[in-house]
Amino acid sequence: MDTLSIALHEDKIAFAPCQTVEGTIRWSLQTNPEHLEFSLFWYTAGKGTRDVGVVETARFDNPGACGSKEFAFPLPDGPYSFSGKLISLIWALELTCKPGSETARREITLSPTGREIVLSEVSSAGGSSWNAKGSGRNPLEGILGSHR
Amino acid sequence: MKARDNPFSVERLHAVRYRTAEATFDEILRRLDEMNYRAAIVGPEGSGKTTLLANVQDALAQKGLKTWMFFVNDTAPLTAPACRQFLTEVAPDEIVLLDGADAVGRSSWSLLRRRTANHAAGLVITSHRPGLLPTLVKCATTPALLAEIVDELKPPGRALAPDLLDDLYQRHAGNLRDCLRELYDLYAAEA
Repeated sequence: MDTLSIALHEDKIAFAPCQTVEGTIRWSLQTNPEHLEFSLFWYTAGKGTRDVGVVETARFDNPGACGSKEFAFPLPDGPYSFSGKLISLIWALELTCKPGSETARREITLSPTGREIVLSEVSSAGGSSWNAKGSGRNPLEGILGSHR
Repeated sequence: MKARDNPFSVERLHAVRYRTAEATFDEILRRLDEMNYRAAIVGPEGSGKTTLLANVQDALAQKGLKTWMFFVNDTAPLTAPACRQFLTEVAPDEIVLLDGADAVGRSSWSLLRRRTANHAAGLVITSHRPGLLPTLVKCATTPALLAEIVDELKPPGRALAPDLLDDLYQRHAGNLRDCLRELYDLYAAEA
């Protein structure tokens, strides 16, 4: 079975801006891949179109079927990891091999506090139909409540 | 609920494959092949045209065929100069996938249609109305289809009242994209 993995140094997954994310990638594949690609990036998730920013990409040509390699990526000063109701910004490391569809991924947090920033106060600004009508009540509350 | 946890987030919606009772996906691909990759996916807003086009692109790539997908709408129009530039860059072995052919101006459409006939491996479009190219699939929705998609996306063990989906379907006139966006908002408003 093909296996790709990403281990973070001391299992650290929360980082302050400009710190360095360090660790080891490992691969064990049934055939020799043409190359491995390892990226540090952020992306948005939520209601709107996905946005992606790739910060670092390392490519390893002809890495052999099995192996490991240490990495150290300096993080930029932003954007911070955050979540609102309409959008989340998520940082991640991803290891892929070509050819093949195997992927390993680790999410990390980048923020001054080491925790994802939660934007709970500004979430309903996008407006949904029941808000627009001014009823103020989420019809899902009762529905979900009675069917859980 | 945080955006990243919302079961109706865009990335989760994009993972939903096109489904129709009319034909299997393999039958659609076979028909497309028989049509020499010049065909239209037709249907109203939110009926699955873009989803099907994306699924077609994946399937063609798996067959080793080259594609070039581009999107046109009122806010991202295809100007005549951009169209001419695009046509100079398309390779003869590429199949052009155009999402939003209705928004292409008449002269650009005429150019696209003619040039891709001889200088590309195909032209597959989405359109609200039939007639631009021979119709490959007429996309349509039903309340049952909405229920099926919602069932795939919502967290397990969390039932929704059927009348909620029927209400959404009616209010959005069968536009599943808008139904699913409203469901996103409903879940987002949860504590």
